[in-house]
Amino acid sequence: MDVDIDLKQTGPLLALRGISKRFSGVRALDRVDLDVRAGELHVLFGENGAGKSTLINVVSGTFPPDEGTFHFGGEEIRHLTPQRARAIGISPVFQEFSLVPSLTVEENLFLGREVSSRGVLRTREMRKRARALIDELGFDLDPSQRVDDLSRAHQQMTEIAKALLGRVRLLILDEPTASLTERETGRLFELIARLKSQNVGLIYVSHRMREIRALADRVTVLRDGRHIRTLDAATSTDGELVELMTGRKIDLLFPTIAHKPDKVMVDVENLTLTDGSVRDVNFYAQAGEITGIAGLVGCGKSELIRAIYGLEPMASGVVRIDGLRYEFPTPRRSLKHGIAYFPANRIAEGLALSRPIRENASMTGLDLPAFARFGVLRQAAERITIAGIMEQLQLRPPNIERTAGALSGGNRQKVMLGRALTRELTVFLFDEPSVGIDVGAKLEVYEFMKRLVEAGAAVIVVSSELPEVLALSNRLYVMHHGRVAAELKGAEKTEQNVLASFFRDHLAAEVA
Amino acid sequence: MSDLELSVAAKDTGHTRWLPAEWLWRAMLPIALVVLLLGFAAVDGRVLSPANLLNIAQQTSYLALFAMAQTVVILTRGFDLALGPTVSMVSVGTALAMAGATASGHDTTTVLLAGLGAGFGLGIACGLFNGVVIALLGVNPFVATLGSYNIAIGVATTLSAGRPVQGVPGTFSQIFYGGNIFGVPAAIAITVAIGVVLQLMLARTVFGRSLYIIGTNPRAAAVAGLPVKRILVLTYVLCSALAALGAIMMTARTGSGEPNLGGSLSLQAIAGAVVGGTSLAGGRGGVGTAVLGALFVTILSNGMNLTRIDGYVQMVVLGAIVIIGVLLDRLRLERRQ
Repeated sequence: MDVDIDLKQTGPLLALRGISKRFSGVRALDRVDLDVRAGELHVLFGENGAGKSTLINVVSGTFPPDEGTFHFGGEEIRHLTPQRARAIGISPVFQEFSLVPSLTVEENLFLGREVSSRGVLRTREMRKRARALIDELGFDLDPSQRVDDLSRAHQQMTEIAKALLGRVRLLILDEPTASLTERETGRLFELIARLKSQNVGLIYVSHRMREIRALADRVTVLRDGRHIRTLDAATSTDGELVELMTGRKIDLLFPTIAHKPDKVMVDVENLTLTDGSVRDVNFYAQAGEITGIAGLVGCGKSELIRAIYGLEPMASGVVRIDGLRYEFPTPRRSLKHGIAYFPANRIAEGLALSRPIRENASMTGLDLPAFARFGVLRQAAERITIAGIMEQLQLRPPNIERTAGALSGGNRQKVMLGRALTRELTVFLFDEPSVGIDVGAKLEVYEFMKRLVEAGAAVIVVSSELPEVLALSNRLYVMHHGRVAAELKGAEKTEQNVLASFFRDHLAAEVA
Repeated sequence: MSDLELSVAAKDTGHTRWLPAEWLWRAMLPIALVVLLLGFAAVDGRVLSPANLLNIAQQTSYLALFAMAQTVVILTRGFDLALGPTVSMVSVGTALAMAGATASGHDTTTVLLAGLGAGFGLGIACGLFNGVVIALLGVNPFVATLGSYNIAIGVATTLSAGRPVQGVPGTFSQIFYGGNIFGVPAAIAITVAIGVVLQLMLARTVFGRSLYIIGTNPRAAAVAGLPVKRILVLTYVLCSALAALGAIMMTARTGSGEPNLGGSLSLQAIAGAVVGGTSLAGGRGGVGTAVLGALFVTILSNGMNLTRIDGYVQMVVLGAIVIIGVLLDRLRLERRQ
């Protein structure tokens, strides 16, 4: 091709027209149009199940559209495969990582496109190029480390580096900051700016308003697989975007919760975990209030509640539940003690995706007489109970015999919440409760917490979303490097104070 | 610009589109069974004779038990390579116990109870060993049962000195082989009864439900508070107990304790389970798939025997069947996604 891209500046880099895609009868995309210009960052905005991931999968060649046209760089593209997409410069970074855990960072970068001469790998050459790329990106990443030794944030960086190796004309980022720290996010934003100046087009999927504000040139809103509108980011308001996304007005995102702190339900003394992710932590949570734990990725906040529930081994320290010492926790015993845990990763730790919603919801209650007698399931009672619970939680559609895998992120979280309603519980541990779910479902999760607290339960919320923990919690712990850096309540509970407690710690570390 | 104009792109680009629908997958095996049976019958008419059909049913009832045993562990993403040697060991142990009890002058009931006790005892011990090594010590099921495969062969051969163990009382064979319930031969009746009970257990009990959940997502099962380790140990015990029952029935048929009884049974049982549609990825399968798979494998080897296909060639076919079964399962999973 002898036509230079710059000459084609008038036409968009990527032009999709009337793209439709069905999955076993369900219309995931319905005649969607999308233009992405070179040098533009184009945000895809929509609730889960709106068709964002299907659309980026179509663009990156994972599966073909049922109908519609696909033009890239002015040429019509048919029969796109992931390999071909990469070859013509379309490079996706998905939320689910495509890395091989047992290989090193640099081996992953060059996976499938190894540099070799006469069948012999040119390791040194590859190492040099990997090093150069990582330095250019400004990531704090060691190319010779194995991927399974890396934190999620570092795996995310590897994934991004992998996408940028070679010539990229269109970069697709699917919630890239979900597991990055503030500093790493800053680096990523600088990188995005540089890519834009090099005329690379970007498709960016995110739920975070702040990012959309900071980065977007244009925003395309999708709802129920349809293209709703494409707006200029500069001239649209947050409210407008959310309204377009949900199809209704959402005035207040966080409910007002009446906290009435009562007796101490969870009391942790000098807790240290075997892997050192939590060290000498003192912490308590009262009935009738939401206790928040904020902190950066990898600060030990998830590990803390996971240890209470019995998922991380403790080295030393004491945990008391309702005043009684609780030793050697396991999930099963925790549930019997009235403690529930809602995992951040619902696919890996939450649901059996190919089993029905009903079985997923009753899973934690199988030891109860309501669901089984002498080991024999009471199937009719199970159906009635679970149908009632899921109706109360407004599962859409309300069919509890569908598989959990067929549900959107928000509905999956509802199944997890439904589990908690199958038995008597007093302590609720939420690990990143709103990750991967849309605004509407978020609101329902918050309402659920509100009902729990107002009914006298102790609720602990661990979250990397600062606005979320600030708004929900009555008392807020800030964790940093495995320790509690601050405990904030009332008027002290501000974003500034939270950030300051990280900062203080950094200073202390530098002095030491 | 003309290249922006609409033109409907090719619709047939779905690379998984050619894979058949779910109902066709289900119908595939029954169709294959009929085709297989008619195919062999075309070569040798005796295949469809009443005597041979009864023979197939009898043969299937043993293999179906073993395939069910294998299915139970495969449901949890497990595996029992040691199933065949377990059968040999149980056969030898049962015969030795009965021969010993007879020699020391006990009455028939005591002799039979001694045999059953030894047989099931050895089976359960074997399952407990596998279960503890796999679930509690965290050894990969493939490796763990490859180890117990050799242990069981060693035990069976040592106990029997490598020779058939004589002294199995006639009553034992009469009950577990010669006997019949309303005209149905004992082996078939026992397998049907066990199949019904097992299916009820899988579908209607907490234990059965747990097997499917653990097989689908073991971590989620643990987080949800299911006693995963305990259930896994029980699963291997159940598997080996079913194998022991099959071994007792086969010992009744041969009339002696055979140290080589289980020779190719591990592979046959796996073939039965996998061909029937039990997924090695866990969480899919049941009694129905095990029985259909066992029927398929039995008809295949029965037909190959009658049409005088060389025994070693039969081994090649069986091995290929297992691999094809696993490949089909993978295609099926791909279609679902």
